[in-house]
Amino acid sequence: MSTIPDKPGRVSVEERLFSLVLALIATEIGLTKAEILSTVQGYRQRYAVGGDNASLERQFERDKDDIRELGIPLETVEPPDDPGSNHHLRYRIPKGLYELPADVSFSADELMLLKLAATVWREGSLSGESRRALTKLNSLGVDSTDPVLGYSPTLRVRDASFEPLSKAMDRGQIVAFQYLKPGEGTPRRRRVAPQAVVLHEGRWHLFGTDEDVQATRTFLLSRIVGPVVSVPGATFVPGGAGKGQEALAELDALWRANLAEIAVEPGSDAAVRLSKRQAVEQGRAPGESTVALHYTDLDILADELAGYGPEVLVRSPPALRAAVLARLVRVRDAHADPQAPAGAAPSDRAEEGTR
Amino acid sequence: MSTGPALGASDKLTFLLSLVPYLMDHESVSVSTVAAHFGVSPERVRDAVNLIAISGIPGETRQYLHGDLFDIHWEEFETNDTIVLTHLVAIDDSPRFSAREAAALIAGLQYLSSLPENADIEAIASLMAKLTRSASATPSQVVVSSTEPGEAIALIKAAVAGGVQIEFGYLSSRGEHEVRHVDPLRIESVDRDWYLRGWCHLRGAVRTFRLDRMSGLRITDLPTDDRIAEALPDTLFQGSDSDLEVVVELPAAAVSLLADFAPQGAGTGPADGPVHRTLRVAHFHGLKRLVAGLAGVVSVVGPPGARWITRDWAAAGAARYDEVVPGEQGE
Repeated sequence: MSTIPDKPGRVSVEERLFSLVLALIATEIGLTKAEILSTVQGYRQRYAVGGDNASLERQFERDKDDIRELGIPLETVEPPDDPGSNHHLRYRIPKGLYELPADVSFSADELMLLKLAATVWREGSLSGESRRALTKLNSLGVDSTDPVLGYSPTLRVRDASFEPLSKAMDRGQIVAFQYLKPGEGTPRRRRVAPQAVVLHEGRWHLFGTDEDVQATRTFLLSRIVGPVVSVPGATFVPGGAGKGQEALAELDALWRANLAEIAVEPGSDAAVRLSKRQAVEQGRAPGESTVALHYTDLDILADELAGYGPEVLVRSPPALRAAVLARLVRVRDAHADPQAPAGAAPSDRAEEGTR
Repeated sequence: MSTGPALGASDKLTFLLSLVPYLMDHESVSVSTVAAHFGVSPERVRDAVNLIAISGIPGETRQYLHGDLFDIHWEEFETNDTIVLTHLVAIDDSPRFSAREAAALIAGLQYLSSLPENADIEAIASLMAKLTRSASATPSQVVVSSTEPGEAIALIKAAVAGGVQIEFGYLSSRGEHEVRHVDPLRIESVDRDWYLRGWCHLRGAVRTFRLDRMSGLRITDLPTDDRIAEALPDTLFQGSDSDLEVVVELPAAAVSLLADFAPQGAGTGPADGPVHRTLRVAHFHGLKRLVAGLAGVVSVVGPPGARWITRDWAAAGAARYDEVVPGEQGE
């Protein structure tokens, strides 16, 4: 009969986590923390009988979180005869909730489609989640041909706030972050109950309740300029499955309702790029150098249009016209050097000549 | 907020929990077959099997006795590189997806379903429902709206399928217009922008093109050159030795807005105070657009030429509003 030799400090992270999952699946009534720390591989080697196990307990708390992050339903059970007692809490993983439902299966064609769906994400947390989901799918043993890779469009989620926000969303955790609102020069701290993360018109948006004004707000992930932190002790009840579609519908309605009319210099960067986003004509027949654009946020569009400098002239709405002009004036004045005469950039003039 | 286990550990644990039910369904399977099926190296499969074979539950004795551990046919494993599970513990079936894993695939499917060639909306909808049922919690609310990348993508895909080059007019950010012949390699989108990465025959190098700067895109009958397909770097843009350095000033908290330009420089001032960062740009003409698009946030410190170009760009833009718009009031 062989047993695992005790090797203090030599048990790898994955072996400890794997052993913990096995032990908690195998138990019906659950194991207490003391039982886990003293018997499970990876903990027992470091367990001091009758001694101080504070760091080991913290390790267990982190492991528990990590295991739950992987979708494993690690449950806490209160003893019926001693409710509210922290000491006799038991931990277990109910097999029925751990396993894929028996009636779920995937065909080879479906698997191929899912593999393709996973390749949409090029990097970042969604690609990691996709990769682990595919590993789980592969355990079903269905053989499928690999999708033709490389030519499918792929998406990058660069915004660092994406992962902490989606985690907070799952946990019903209220978060705080510095938000640099388009059109403003300095960021402000926001406290938000995150409800959904939505990719709309090529931008990632956070949809949630702004806790300070108790109203629903939409935030651009790219404008979250600091770390996303948990607000200690502040939680909310997630809105459930419909929140994402609700957010999308709101953004869509907003986008359709807003229409800007913009004159573009023929042949310029603005003309080439903006004309590809041309909205369906709305009765008026603008000349060929005018484009009509739908938009969701006036300040975001104003930022973008200001970047085009003299290549665009906003015709309407007036608020957008004013916003773009104000930005251009601000940039012009911020770069005014008394020692340099206007138009002192010869290389620029040459390039401007192509307009 | 916890960042979770190191990527390695969560991937490894997921692999262990997935490998066990797969091995249960296969009485005897070679390491190479498993590696190919999961898309991992044979070495990683062997490591996982070695770990599974010595793992188990504490058992009644709490001593991890032999009967409480997984076991494999060691001789088959060591001599024939073949895996035969001979004893099972605790696990019988594949694990469910986490809320975020299901969400990642569902959002990927939403994205695919918005592309014209993936029109089988019903199959995709039924798959999304299955994923939702297979997750241990309500999938995270990550939603991808349909996008219209336009005809360009369909054309480029047709060119890839036919193994031929594409031709298009391209307006560089310098404002130069050139006709390019390109072997298309990959289409990517970053935020709202679509990029084609391909071998540019004009430059003799891999280049990244914005789809919205292309005009007159068409498929040629010139064959592509197969051998360069593997030379695709993973980052969209690469710096060059001829890049110019520009110093900009902005609030410390806003530095992340310039991530594309890999801002350099120390800055440990107060969180809301301005800091200086050095950017590397190919030329000042991209810079003036960037800075004008971040009015009130970023300004150019130097060199003077970069300041002037930016000022002239914004001034010329502002001057246009002095014109009287027909049918409307002037400013």
